[in-house]
Amino acid sequence: MGTYSQYAWLVPLFPLLGFIIVLAAGRLVQRIGGPINVLLSIASFVVAALIGWERLTPGIENYVWNDWTWLKIGDFNITLGFEINNLNALMLLIVTLVSMLVQLYSIGYMAEDDRKHVFFSYIALFTFSMLGVVMSENLIELYIFWELVGVCSFLLVGFWYEKLEAKKAAQKAFLVTRVGDTGLLAGILLLAWNMPGHALDFNSIFNAINAGDLSSGVITTAAILIFIGAVGKSGQFPLHTWLPDAMEGPTPISALIHAATMVAAGVYLVARSFDLFVASPTAMLTVAIIGGFTAIFAATIGLAQYDIKRILAYSTVSQLGYMMMGLGVSTTFAAGMFHLYTHAFFKALLFLGAGSVIHAVHTQDIREMGGLSKHMKITTWTFAIGTLALSGVPPFAGFWSKDLILLEAYHHQPVLFVVALVAAFFTALYMSRLFFLVFTGKARKPAHPHESPAVMTIPLIILAILSVVAGFVNLPGSEKFSEWLTGVAPEEATSYVPMIASTIVALLGISIGAVFYWRPKFSAENVKKTFLPVFTVLNNKYYIDELYQKTIQVPYDLLAAFIDTFDKYVVQGAVSLIQYIVNFVGNITAKTQNGQLQNYALVLVFGLIILAAVVIWMGGGAEVWAISGK
Amino acid sequence: MGDFGQMTFESMPHLLTALVLSPLLGILILAFIPSSMGQWLKRTAIIASLLPILIAGYVYANFNHNAGVMQFVEKFEWTSISWTNFYGSQPIPNELHLQYALGVDGISLPLVFLTALVAAMAMFASVLIKKRWKLYFILMLILEIGMLGVFTAQSLTLFFVFFELTLIPMFFLIGIWGLMHREKAANQFLIFNGLGSAILFFGIIWIITTAGFTVTGNTMDISADQPVAHFTDFIPTIADNLNNTDTIANATEWLKPYGLDTTYLLSNSTKWTLFILLLVAFGIKLPMFPFHTWMLRVHSEAPASVVMIHSGILLKMGAYGLLRIGLSFFPEQAQESATWLAILGVVNLLYGAFCAFAQDELRSLLAYSSISHMGIILLGFAANNTIGYSGAVFQMISHGLISALFFMLVGSLYERTGTTSLSDLGGMSKSLPFISAMMLVAGLASLGLPGLSGFVSELMAFIGLFENHPTLTYIAVLGIILTAAYVLRGVMNITYGKLAISTKMADAQLVEAFPMVVLTAFIILIGVYPSVLSGPLDQSLHEWAHWLNHTQAGG
Repeated sequence: MGTYSQYAWLVPLFPLLGFIIVLAAGRLVQRIGGPINVLLSIASFVVAALIGWERLTPGIENYVWNDWTWLKIGDFNITLGFEINNLNALMLLIVTLVSMLVQLYSIGYMAEDDRKHVFFSYIALFTFSMLGVVMSENLIELYIFWELVGVCSFLLVGFWYEKLEAKKAAQKAFLVTRVGDTGLLAGILLLAWNMPGHALDFNSIFNAINAGDLSSGVITTAAILIFIGAVGKSGQFPLHTWLPDAMEGPTPISALIHAATMVAAGVYLVARSFDLFVASPTAMLTVAIIGGFTAIFAATIGLAQYDIKRILAYSTVSQLGYMMMGLGVSTTFAAGMFHLYTHAFFKALLFLGAGSVIHAVHTQDIREMGGLSKHMKITTWTFAIGTLALSGVPPFAGFWSKDLILLEAYHHQPVLFVVALVAAFFTALYMSRLFFLVFTGKARKPAHPHESPAVMTIPLIILAILSVVAGFVNLPGSEKFSEWLTGVAPEEATSYVPMIASTIVALLGISIGAVFYWRPKFSAENVKKTFLPVFTVLNNKYYIDELYQKTIQVPYDLLAAFIDTFDKYVVQGAVSLIQYIVNFVGNITAKTQNGQLQNYALVLVFGLIILAAVVIWMGGGAEVWAISGK
Repeated sequence: MGDFGQMTFESMPHLLTALVLSPLLGILILAFIPSSMGQWLKRTAIIASLLPILIAGYVYANFNHNAGVMQFVEKFEWTSISWTNFYGSQPIPNELHLQYALGVDGISLPLVFLTALVAAMAMFASVLIKKRWKLYFILMLILEIGMLGVFTAQSLTLFFVFFELTLIPMFFLIGIWGLMHREKAANQFLIFNGLGSAILFFGIIWIITTAGFTVTGNTMDISADQPVAHFTDFIPTIADNLNNTDTIANATEWLKPYGLDTTYLLSNSTKWTLFILLLVAFGIKLPMFPFHTWMLRVHSEAPASVVMIHSGILLKMGAYGLLRIGLSFFPEQAQESATWLAILGVVNLLYGAFCAFAQDELRSLLAYSSISHMGIILLGFAANNTIGYSGAVFQMISHGLISALFFMLVGSLYERTGTTSLSDLGGMSKSLPFISAMMLVAGLASLGLPGLSGFVSELMAFIGLFENHPTLTYIAVLGIILTAAYVLRGVMNITYGKLAISTKMADAQLVEAFPMVVLTAFIILIGVYPSVLSGPLDQSLHEWAHWLNHTQAGG
C-alpha cells in the first residue's frame, strides 16, 4: 500500500525548495524566480495528482507517518508527520493546482514589479505552509502551519509596504486572525490535558471520542474553541472584517490565499476535526448558525460595494459561511467540502479575472469600468462562467455543491434553508450587477483596455473549464464524490425542492441584475435613492468596523495609555522616592567621599542591616543562631 | 539516598574553569594594546570572545545528552572556617566549608552556550562604540566571566561572587558609554541590583548556616569520639538536605541526642521567609512587576551592544537563580504559591504588553516587551511540572536570542538615523531592506510565530500551566494578541509606510549582518528543531523529579 502516499512529503518540499532558492538568490533571480517556482509547483502538482489517483482505489487505507519527534518533554511527545487520507488528498490537489495556476498568472501580473522575486518567495512559502496545514496529522503540527500561512498572508497583503492602506490591512489581518488563533490554541491546550496520553493526533481524538474518554463538556468546549480559530481564518462573523481589507494585497494573492486556499483552511479544520463536532450538537448548531448568518450577512454587503475586489471578497466571506453552514447542518463533511472544492476554482477564476480587468483599466471601481467585453474576450467569457458558477446556475460547478448544502439544510434546519436561499438570491444579484457593469454597456471612463497576455489568460481558461465540469463528480443520485470523501453513502434522499428553488433564485437574481445594469429598464440610482438608508448601511458594511473601532480599539489605546501613565508616575514615582531616600542616607554617611562605588557598597550594607533587622524582628533569625553559634 | 548529588567527573578536569576564565586571555592581550588603536582593540575583542564559544561548543558536544546529572564537575574546597558551638550543653566543633564548585546540567548548559554566543555577538555590535575602546572591551570581557560563572557555579558563595562580578562592569558600561541620562541610569541600576544582591547575600548566608548542615558521605563521622558539624555551600547538597527524606531522617537521627532535631529541618515559616527573599532578590533581576523600573532606564540609556547582554543574558540570571536556588530548594513553597506565581506571571505578561503598546520609543517598547516575556518564565515556573519548567528555560534562551537580535538592530538603526523614535521613522524597508527584514524576523519571533524559538517556549509554558490553572492560562493565551499588537505596531511603524528619512543610507555592513544572521539562525534552529535543547533539559528535569513529583500528573 501507499506507493505514492509515502512520498507525499515531496509535495510541500518543492515549494519549500523554491522559497529557499529564491530567498537566497535574491535579486539574482528577480526575473527567473517566477518561472522557477512555477516549475517546482508543477512537480508538486504531479505528485499530488498521483496521490489523488491512487486514492481512488477502493478500500485503500490511510497512510500515516509520524516518526519525527519534534519535542519530547516528560509525558509530552509532540511529533511531526503527515497523514494521507481522501480528505487531505483532495486538498493537496486543490492547493497545488490553484497555486500553480496563480503563480503562472503572476508572472504576467507582476511583470513590472521591482520586487517580484520577493513576491514569488512569499508565495512559495505560503504554498509550503498551506500544504503543511493540509497534511498535518496532529493539532499542534496543524497549528504551526496554521500560523505560518497566516504570516504569509500578512506579508503578501502588506507586499506594497509603502501604501498606508496595505500596512493597515496587513496589521489588521494579522491581529484579527490571531484573535481566532487563540481560540484554536486554547482548544489544543484543553485537549492536551484531557486526551489519554496527551495525544493530539486526529486518529487518537477519534478513538477517544468513541471510547468515551472525553466528557461531553470537554468535547463541546474544545470543538467551539477550535471553531473560533476557524472563524478567524475563514472570515466568519464576527471576525470577518480583515478579509475585505486584505484585498490591498496583489490580486493573485487574493485569488490564491484569500479565496481558494487559506481562508478555506477554517472549513478544512472543522472537517478535519469533524469527529469532535459531530459528537457535540451544540457545537454543530453553533457552526451552522454562524455559517448561515455570515452567508446572508456578507451577501447583502456585497450588493452595495463598488470595488470589484471587495465585492468578490464579501462574496468569499458569504460562500465560506455557506460551507460552514453545510458542515453544521449535516452528519458528514461532504457538503461543506464539496463546496470548498468547487468554490476554489470559480472564485480563483473570478479573482484572476478581476486582476486581468484591473491590469487593463488600472482602477478597481466598477463605476469607472464598462464595455470591456469588446476588448477582452477571454476575460469576459471566463468571468461569465465564474459568475454563473458562483450564482449557482445549472450545470455549472457551483450549482451542484450549493445544492448539496441546501439539501442538507432542507432536511435538517429549514430556517437555515430559507436563509441560504435568500443568500443565494443576493449572490446572483451582486454578481450580475458586477458582471454587467464591468463588461457590458459603454466605457464610463476613457481607457485603452487590452486583453491580458497568454500567461494570464491560460490559467483563466483552465479554471473556467474546471468551473464547468468540477461539479459533475457528485451529481444528485450518484454522489460518488461524497462517498469517496467520507466513506459513507449519503443518507438523505435527493429532493427536487432545493434544486428547483435554488435555480429559480439564481435566475431571478441574474435577471434583476440584467434589467438594472445590462439593458437598463429601471434606474438603479432610483432604487438606491428610495432605499438610501438601507444602501448606506450596506455600503458601510453595517458599521462593524466603526463599532470595533469605538468599542475595542479606542478603549484599548486608552487603557494602554492609562497603564503606561500609571507606570511612569505611580510605580516609578514610588521607586524614585526609595532611591531618593537611599541617596539621602548615602550622602550623610559618605559625606567626605564622592563616587559611585561607595554608593554600591553602601547600599549593600544598608540593605543587609535592614533585612537582618526585619528577619530578627520576625523571629525567624532564632534558628540561624541555634545552629551556627550563639 | 537520593541520587541528585551524583555526578560525572570528566577526563578534562578543569574544562569549565577554562571556560569561565577564558575571557581573561582577551583581557590580557587587550591590556598590552595601546588605547589609541581602536581597530586592533575591536578585532582582538571579537576574536577573544570567540574562545568561550569554542569551549562552550566543545562542552556541548561532549555533554552526555542522555544523562541528566551534573557533568564536567569540578569541586574542591576553597576555604573553611572553624568555630565551636554548643548543642545543648555539649561543645561541638563546627566547620564551614566553602566550595569552589562548577558543573553543568541540561538546564545550565544551554544558558552557558547562550552567554558565550550573545557576548560574542555583542562584541561585533560594539564596533559602533565611539570612545575608550580599551576599557570598554576589558569591562565587557569581565562581564562575560561573571555571566559564565553564574551559570556554571555549583556553590552558593561562588554563585554570589559571580553574580556580583557582573554588576561592576555593567555599572561602568552604562555610566560611561550610555546616552544622555547615562549616569542616572547607572545609578539606578546599581541601587536596585545592590538591593537585590543584599537580599540574596542575606538569604544565602541563612541557607548555608542551616540547610548547609551536612551529614551525608564521609563529611561526618558518627563513630568518632568528637563529632564535628559541617556546613557547606554546595548547591546539590543543600537541595538534597532540604528535600531528600532519607537525608532529612539521617540528620534528624544525628541531631536527636542534642535535642535539636527540629532546628535542622527549617520550619515552615523560615522556608517561606527564605523563599520570598529569594523571589524578591531574583525578581528584581528578572524583572518582576513592580521591581522593573530600573531596567527601563538601562534599556533606553545604555549602548545597544550592552543592552544586548543586559536584556539577553543578565535578566536570565534572575530567572536561572530563581529556578536553581529558589525553586529547587523550596519546591513545596513554590508549589503552594503557584497560583500567586501564575498571577505575577500574567501581570508581568499583560502589564508589559499594555505599556509596550503605548511607547513611542523603540527601546522602551522593547524594554516593556522584555517584562512581558519574562512573565512567560514565571508562568512556566508556576506550572510546577516538567513541561512548564522546560518552557521557562526555553523562554530564557529564546528571549536571550531575540532581544539580542533586536538590540543589535536598534544599534545599527540608531547609527544611521540618530533616532529610534517610532514617530520619526517609517518606510525603512526602502532604504535599509536588510535591516528591516531582520527587524521583521525579530518581531515575528518575539510574537511567537511557530518555526521560530519564541513559539516553543510559549507553547510549553501554556501547556504546563494549563494543568492546574486553566483560567489563568486562558488569560495568558489572550496575551499573545496583545504581544502581536505591540510588536507589529513597533516594527511596522519603522519599516512600512512612506519613507520618513530620505537621506541616503547604507544597509548593514558585513560586521553587522553576520551576528544578525547568526542569531537568526539559532532562533530558527530552536524553532524548527527544539529537541536540540529539550533532550538534555528533559533528562535534567527528570533528575529533579523526586521533588517535582508533588504534582501527580506532572507531565
